[in-house]
Amino acid sequence: MCDRPSVGAGNGDPMTTSGVIQELTATGLEESPKAEQAERRRKQRGGRRPSFTMFLVIVPFLVLIFLFSYFPLYGWIYSLYDYKPALGLQGSEFVGLQWFQLLVGSPTQVAQIGQVLLNTLAISFLGIATSVLPLAFAIFLNEVKAPWFRGAVQTLTTLPNFISWVLVYMIAFSLFSSTGLVNGVLSDMGLITVPVKFLDSDENVWITMTLWSVWKGLGWGAIIYLAAISGIDRELYEAAEIDGAGRFQRMWYITVPQLMPTYIVLLLLSVANLLNNGMEQYYVFQNAFNKEHIQVLDLYVYNIGMTGNNLSMATAIGMLKSLISVALLFTVNGIAKRVRGQSIV
Amino acid sequence: MKLRKKVAAVASALATIGMLAACTPGAAQEDRAAVSEFPTSWDEEITIDVFDGLANYQGMQEGWFGKLVKDKFNMKLNIIAPNVAGGGDTLFNTRVTAGDLGDLIITDQGEKLDELIAGGLVLDSAPYYGAMDDAARFDAAVARINEESGGTYAFPSQVSSIKPTEPSEGLDPTFGPYVRWDLYKEAGYPQLDTLEDLLPALQKMQEIQPTAPNGQKTYAISLFKDWDGNMMNNAKQPTTFYGYDELGFVLAKADGEDYQGILDEDGEYFRALKFYHDANALGLVDPDSTTQNYDTLWTKYQNGQVLFSFWPWLGQAAYNTEENTAAGRGFMIAPLQDQTIFSYGAPAYGGKQVLAIGSKAEDPERIAAFIDWLYSPEGTLSNNSQTMGAAGPEGLTWEMDGDEPVLTDFGKEVFLNGDAEVPAEWGGGSYIDGTSALNISAVLPIDVDPERGFPYSYKLWPSYQALIETPLSTDWSTNMDDASTTIDYLTKNEQIMVAPGASYTAPADSSEIETLRNQVKATVVQYSWQMIFAESEAEFDSLKAKLQETADGLGYEQVLEFDMANAEDQNDLRVEVAKEFG
Repeated sequence: MCDRPSVGAGNGDPMTTSGVIQELTATGLEESPKAEQAERRRKQRGGRRPSFTMFLVIVPFLVLIFLFSYFPLYGWIYSLYDYKPALGLQGSEFVGLQWFQLLVGSPTQVAQIGQVLLNTLAISFLGIATSVLPLAFAIFLNEVKAPWFRGAVQTLTTLPNFISWVLVYMIAFSLFSSTGLVNGVLSDMGLITVPVKFLDSDENVWITMTLWSVWKGLGWGAIIYLAAISGIDRELYEAAEIDGAGRFQRMWYITVPQLMPTYIVLLLLSVANLLNNGMEQYYVFQNAFNKEHIQVLDLYVYNIGMTGNNLSMATAIGMLKSLISVALLFTVNGIAKRVRGQSIV
Repeated sequence: MKLRKKVAAVASALATIGMLAACTPGAAQEDRAAVSEFPTSWDEEITIDVFDGLANYQGMQEGWFGKLVKDKFNMKLNIIAPNVAGGGDTLFNTRVTAGDLGDLIITDQGEKLDELIAGGLVLDSAPYYGAMDDAARFDAAVARINEESGGTYAFPSQVSSIKPTEPSEGLDPTFGPYVRWDLYKEAGYPQLDTLEDLLPALQKMQEIQPTAPNGQKTYAISLFKDWDGNMMNNAKQPTTFYGYDELGFVLAKADGEDYQGILDEDGEYFRALKFYHDANALGLVDPDSTTQNYDTLWTKYQNGQVLFSFWPWLGQAAYNTEENTAAGRGFMIAPLQDQTIFSYGAPAYGGKQVLAIGSKAEDPERIAAFIDWLYSPEGTLSNNSQTMGAAGPEGLTWEMDGDEPVLTDFGKEVFLNGDAEVPAEWGGGSYIDGTSALNISAVLPIDVDPERGFPYSYKLWPSYQALIETPLSTDWSTNMDDASTTIDYLTKNEQIMVAPGASYTAPADSSEIETLRNQVKATVVQYSWQMIFAESEAEFDSLKAKLQETADGLGYEQVLEFDMANAEDQNDLRVEVAKEFG
């Protein structure tokens, strides 16, 4: 980039520092006929200083992004070694692509990873499908006229968001275990003789997991919509009222369309997080009986790497996640390009 | 240019950080002068980190044992217990990566120890070994475990002067079908020809006592998942009644006559799963089994909610209190006619776990002195766990009466009734809470104390035997050919199979085998549980077929082949040791 000829200086090319320096040398050599021009350039140079200062301002953030988003990619190198913590990376054996070969080595292995991806995507899509619930909840909550009741409902539904998954599991356990409250009540009422296994069963794992996260996130998810609702112009409602719109009509024809932009943005964000459905929830709920359908990608990586004590293999699987994410990103980008004629990246 | 330089500087700085982060500290060990005698007192108080792969307690060692160590070595023990922290080897790996595992390390021989030596995380204690007189009594074992490394990195556990062909266990074997004898008696001492005959007997017992004194429902069998490894731990236990023990995916018979893969079609492992499955179909298995942990299970045994135990140190230890046994209640071994119970012979060269000094230890000499003390009579009596029969410090729990050791009143209170308040001059607090949290036996408790001529374990003292004669033991004895102890009964009836204590350590898995193994074992454990709780016989069979198919697909055969070779090596070593010492 330093080879750019000095002539290019004035024609709006993006200037690099080296370009400026070369340009200066060039002007120094040339004589007076273009003094006026040189003067202008000097002014321009003075005008560029703030832009360099501005660059310095963003440097810390660039460094942070580099440190936390790109530097960790260095860790991928672990997937090429047979990493043993006591020996360090240097002491560990270099095994090349062994772990990747193992990943696709047997049909059972491939089927297992396939199942894991299926779980991940299924739970994510169920999550996206249920993302209309906070929207609906916010709209209905907004219609409640008694402020104290509204406040109480909002507080009570937001609260679960601040409970950790471990505690949620404690609640689930005391309610649904074989000696839990629900089984106790059912058997006291004489409806069952043998306790129903709610937690250690493989039935409807995806749905129950989605329900738990809806319970936990409903109130929290509604906050942003409530804020958006309060920003809707009151005149729209007044005009609709004069035109004879009923309450539900106002909700449907004014509130919902007004909230759509917010909803779409959040939807896009959750698509980007398709593979990141976290692991805490599934980690605490997993057991021998539901493992087949509860193992999402993050949990699978943890089970292999930490429980199975193979950090290198876990790295290799983790890379899979990055690859799929990049593929997803380009797909979404392609769709956006076609639909809006404008790409995201 | 300036900017480019800056960028370059930043980039190279980051790269350096990266290199540093990827580095492990090298094994820089300065030369230490050899010592021939340890000082008798230590001026400066220190606290050492004990990384203890066996401990079930995390934190400072408290109580009488803590005080004993403090008085002798002016040292406090801060115990770091991966068992408590959970997450498998995570804690081990993080600490190892940081370059400092602990000052005193208790870990496994083989892969882990080799890795630590190679990574320079453990200290060569050769300079101190000259002063370690008590450990030197077991020089053969010390020499053997350090044979390959060439230094003196590790010290053995469970050493003794007992022959490797003798049981290492004392009065009761490690495994065995223990039933609630009082209920078995009420059921009319049903004849038990083989394992499956236990089911109708247990069913009858459960019918006799459907609820425990605390009002909860009783179950014949209650399981837990905490110790699942290569297979479902609880499902291995019935196979030990017929002389098998696990080695990877192999069930090897103690006498070397039979080796089975756990997924063999008509093998012992599937027999055990079928046994539990049938028990579940009869309503004998606690539905909490799938979710409870060992602690919960222990409490259930204490409350009398469980009627069968595959280990004496679970059922008996939890339930056979003085009050219960006086009333004739308690767990005793059932006369399973065809049993040949697996027994671990006294290890000729020590057990699986070893003690080692961390390379970053501040005062390695004092830690060496402490390790040495663990092999001394005083250390053995104090450090061994009381469930193994350790008698505790002389003067507190026991004293010499003439030339015979007897329990003091305090000792009777502790060992017969469960616990007592320790006098202030011994450190105060509960006796049980104050016992050594190290949970490692340097010397086997059944070994004989060279100073006094009696076993370290109070359970083997004549004075104690006389003390514990209860209606329970008398009734059991009358029905079991007048045997005095379980081992006595089993030996007389040739129902015990001792695997000579060869101190065999399987070589480390190659990374490929390890990866295959980890995936296969997760599958085995998962399906084993599902099979036990399967709704029907057909479902049991289809799960079994699915397990075999999935495990095969994940590389089970390859790992089995590896384990099979190890099992045969182990047997060769057993034969050799039996010949050498027998």
